[in-house]
Amino acid sequence: MDCRNIRNFSIIAHIDHGKSTLADRLLEFTGTVSERELKEQMLDDMQLERDRGITIKARSVSVEYKHGNTTYQLNLIDTPGHVDFQYEVSRALTCCEGALLLVDAFQGVEAQTVANGYNAFDHDLAIIPVINKIDLDYARVDEVVEEIEQQFGLGDAEVQKVSAKEGIGIEGLLEAVIEHVPPPTGDPAAELRAMVFDSHYDEFRGAITYIRVMEGTIGKGDKIQFVRAGSVHDVIEIGQFTPQQTPCDALHAGQVGYVICNIKSLDMIHIGDTLCLNKSEVEPLPGYQEPKRMVYCGLYPSDGQDFKELRDALGRLKINDPSFEFEAETSEALGFGFRCGFLGLLHMEIVQQRLEQESDVDLIQTAPNVTYEVTKKDGTEMRIHRPQEVPEPGDILEFRQPIVRVNFITPGEYVGAIMKLCNERRGVQQSQEYISPTRMMLCYDLPLAEVIYDLHDKLKSATRGYGTMDYEIIGYQAADLVRMDILVNGNRVDALSVICHRADSQVRGRAVCKKLKQEIDRHMFEVAVQAAIGAKIIARETVRALRKNVTAKCYGGDISRKKKLWAKQREGKKRMKSIGSVDIPQKAFMAVLDKGQDKK
Amino acid sequence: MTMPVPRSAYIHVPFCRHRCGYCNFTVIAGRDDLHASYLQALQMELETLGAPQEMETVFLGGGTPTQLHPDELRRLFDLIAYWFPMVTEGEYTIEANPEDIDEESVALFQEYGVNRVSLGGQSFDMDKLTLLERSHQPSQLEQCFTLLKSIPSVSMDLIFGVPGETLAQWSADLDSLLIFRPTHISTYGLTIEKGTSFWSRFERGDLLEVDEELQRQFYIEARQRLSAAGYHHYEVSNFARPGFECRHNQAYWFGDPYFAVGPGAASFVNGYREVNHRSTTTYISKVLAGESPVAESELVSGEELHREVLVFALRRLDGINPDWFFQKTGVTIESLAGDQITKFVNQGLLRWHDGRLCLTEEGLLVSDSLWPYLL
Ligand SMILES: Nc1nc2c(ncn2[C@@H]2O[C@H](COP(=O)(O)OP(=O)(O)OP(=O)(O)O)[C@@H](O)[C@H]2O)c(=O)[nH]1
Ligand code: SF4
Ligand SMILES: [Mg+2]
Repeated sequence: MDCRNIRNFSIIAHIDHGKSTLADRLLEFTGTVSERELKEQMLDDMQLERDRGITIKARSVSVEYKHGNTTYQLNLIDTPGHVDFQYEVSRALTCCEGALLLVDAFQGVEAQTVANGYNAFDHDLAIIPVINKIDLDYARVDEVVEEIEQQFGLGDAEVQKVSAKEGIGIEGLLEAVIEHVPPPTGDPAAELRAMVFDSHYDEFRGAITYIRVMEGTIGKGDKIQFVRAGSVHDVIEIGQFTPQQTPCDALHAGQVGYVICNIKSLDMIHIGDTLCLNKSEVEPLPGYQEPKRMVYCGLYPSDGQDFKELRDALGRLKINDPSFEFEAETSEALGFGFRCGFLGLLHMEIVQQRLEQESDVDLIQTAPNVTYEVTKKDGTEMRIHRPQEVPEPGDILEFRQPIVRVNFITPGEYVGAIMKLCNERRGVQQSQEYISPTRMMLCYDLPLAEVIYDLHDKLKSATRGYGTMDYEIIGYQAADLVRMDILVNGNRVDALSVICHRADSQVRGRAVCKKLKQEIDRHMFEVAVQAAIGAKIIARETVRALRKNVTAKCYGGDISRKKKLWAKQREGKKRMKSIGSVDIPQKAFMAVLDKGQDKK
Repeated sequence: MTMPVPRSAYIHVPFCRHRCGYCNFTVIAGRDDLHASYLQALQMELETLGAPQEMETVFLGGGTPTQLHPDELRRLFDLIAYWFPMVTEGEYTIEANPEDIDEESVALFQEYGVNRVSLGGQSFDMDKLTLLERSHQPSQLEQCFTLLKSIPSVSMDLIFGVPGETLAQWSADLDSLLIFRPTHISTYGLTIEKGTSFWSRFERGDLLEVDEELQRQFYIEARQRLSAAGYHHYEVSNFARPGFECRHNQAYWFGDPYFAVGPGAASFVNGYREVNHRSTTTYISKVLAGESPVAESELVSGEELHREVLVFALRRLDGINPDWFFQKTGVTIESLAGDQITKFVNQGLLRWHDGRLCLTEEGLLVSDSLWPYLL
């Protein structure tokens, strides 16, 4: 295939603006899949993607399109819209010369539209703005055109107007792609350099590595090498996704496809690595960043016997999802378990759901937290992934937390509500501007910890669903942070410790104690639940001792009824964790998420 | 654990004049028209026994057995006399409502060898009785005791912890009962159960449950008063003058087998715990159609049974003699639950006393919290 007839582009947008549906139409219009094979959002083929109706993993597809007398090869990559999976978008963009920036004709420009749009600019891509869903009765096409122009200054580019659902404007869009997206450059005769941009694991074939060939040619049977990993493999198969894996003899400069070697774990494939021929001395391509784990939590088997099973299940997941990481840890309260790192809360939820689906280990999850930094008085630097690691208050010189820059886009009338949300979370406003006569973009710097837990939910309710947000890490800043411990009858429950701002500790401590009081059954003795910072108690609740609990009537018919009731209570107790002699139900370990009334 | 043949039988008579506000027993109110078909069904259920079974204890409970008219009651007694003949020295109990006790009924009891009457007296306090929706007067109770002089053992039920009740009121109630020195007293804290009219009133906030601390005091008061008056507190809610402990109920707590007939009746035969249909009409139609009235059946054996014996025998205040337990179950208490028991002993909830394992007073008061750990 002549390089000039190749076009590589991504479809990028805010979540739900119709990327995957547009990909369906492109597959259909070009005859890549027949109508019979086609199903909605067919590239979202993971069960979880179908369950949730969102794209989690970027997918590439090669389609052939005849325009005039020329047959073009279009390599398109459908990307996820959710902020947790932003890094997938970056990877995809590195392999393309162009991007379709999709905007919902009713929703208009939203936070991820802006984030992804600028991401494409940063990659020097040709951007084709596309307004989707023009079939909607309440589509406001002209206003949205204005929003796009105002936001991105794309005055000269012609805005495509399509309906992915109804198949309107698809041909014009394809023409625009051919005309405006430049063909890849690169010499098929040069020495091979290919960018590894993704991978997935196939049970039968092992790792499938996704590449974009930058220079040279790769063929079946070649002996290749991953520059960074330093490993050497034989190429067993190469091919392209159409969308199923379709083998071919060679991939040339400019093409996107896959490589199968005999690789048993995704751990061995580093995204951003450069693939070249064995013994080649080429300069590696600039790699892109490792995915950043934003959130950590502990996962423990509620039955200690299941530790090994949980480890195996996590291992299997990691093979498929290298962006998630885990390492063994122990907790006095919960025993042996794992500290797991995730891209965000959605990612955490997804991993947990997969764990539940794919193994039947009953899990206890501790409250999620972000990674902190501490400089100790003796000069030691620490990265803190779990509250238990925080040194004693007296040993800390500086306690730093990750700060993110958050962009909100909202109809003007909700600006006040968003400002209130941010101020409560100690946000610092950076800017505020109109992106159209009715819509505003607000920018705040906020502690990541304040953002991940519930800011998105709070934003949605404060703006009736119209506000959107996007964030990126900008660095660490010192703050007056403390580790708040929870004591149950004087015993510290390590798994319940949290890191929070000192000014919030009182309110949070009270809320957690209150919540725990509800969760812990009354015992035959009084149970004191306390929140403490160092040795100082800042909140206390008491679970009163049981004073009378005795069944009066217990004759013939009562025996099996009572026995069933007590047996049920026994099963409940078995799943609890015993601290001292206090039985703490699993649910209680999430109680620390309760932030108190102030932010409701 | 070998299963001997049952030596105890329970017969459930589901009829009541009116359903009391706190009652969630298997009861049907105001349906005297069903008496005949009930007796018919009962007879058919008894016939499935094949042959008469000799009994050491028979217990006629309800509901209100005395709600049956005298000729119906006679028919019931005849059926029992045939199917469950008593050994000499047997214990034959009938539950009775105070309003139903008269010379005629007492004569009938005597004629059939009933030697124990359990009176649903509940209280001597008119306000309490009214709140409980009981239809007898305190003065009727006095007459009952006179009429029942010829019956060797008379037990009375007494309820405490009725909404609004004070400790002084409860003391007075105990005093009133002690004047008659019944051979046996069962006393219960009022519980508000789902499916009763008290429950709905409680949910609406019309009825307030007595504070837990006060309930505890009521119970302790009963223990102290009755012990001082010479009653032996032998099971969580039962007190008796020496030698008058209810033998029938002990069979339940010792894990002995027993027959049971009638709607909602629960039996334990050959290791199976079975419960009949709780609805009287369903019970009748099933039996009359030749079908089994059993609604639930489960085999209880092995460790489950041993633990059950442990728990229910521990509800008896004399506790458990380890040798008896070993003989009964073939396992030692130690091997079954030694660690847990040691823990409770250390917490002061159980104790070893005269070589027996028993609840302490504190353990008794919160005993329902112990059982889940022992089952
Ligand atoms: N009316 C209308 N609805 C559309 C159109 N395109 C997509 N939709 C609907 O919009 C919703 C989201 O579509 P997707 O294709 O899953 O959106 P996406 O951008 O891939 O979403 P993520 O991958 O989760 O970011 C679905 O319910 C589609 O049916 C369109 O042109 N018109
Ligand atoms: S008399 Fe006894 S069985 Fe009948 S309704 Fe009243 S409490 Fe229930
Ligand atoms: Mg999608």
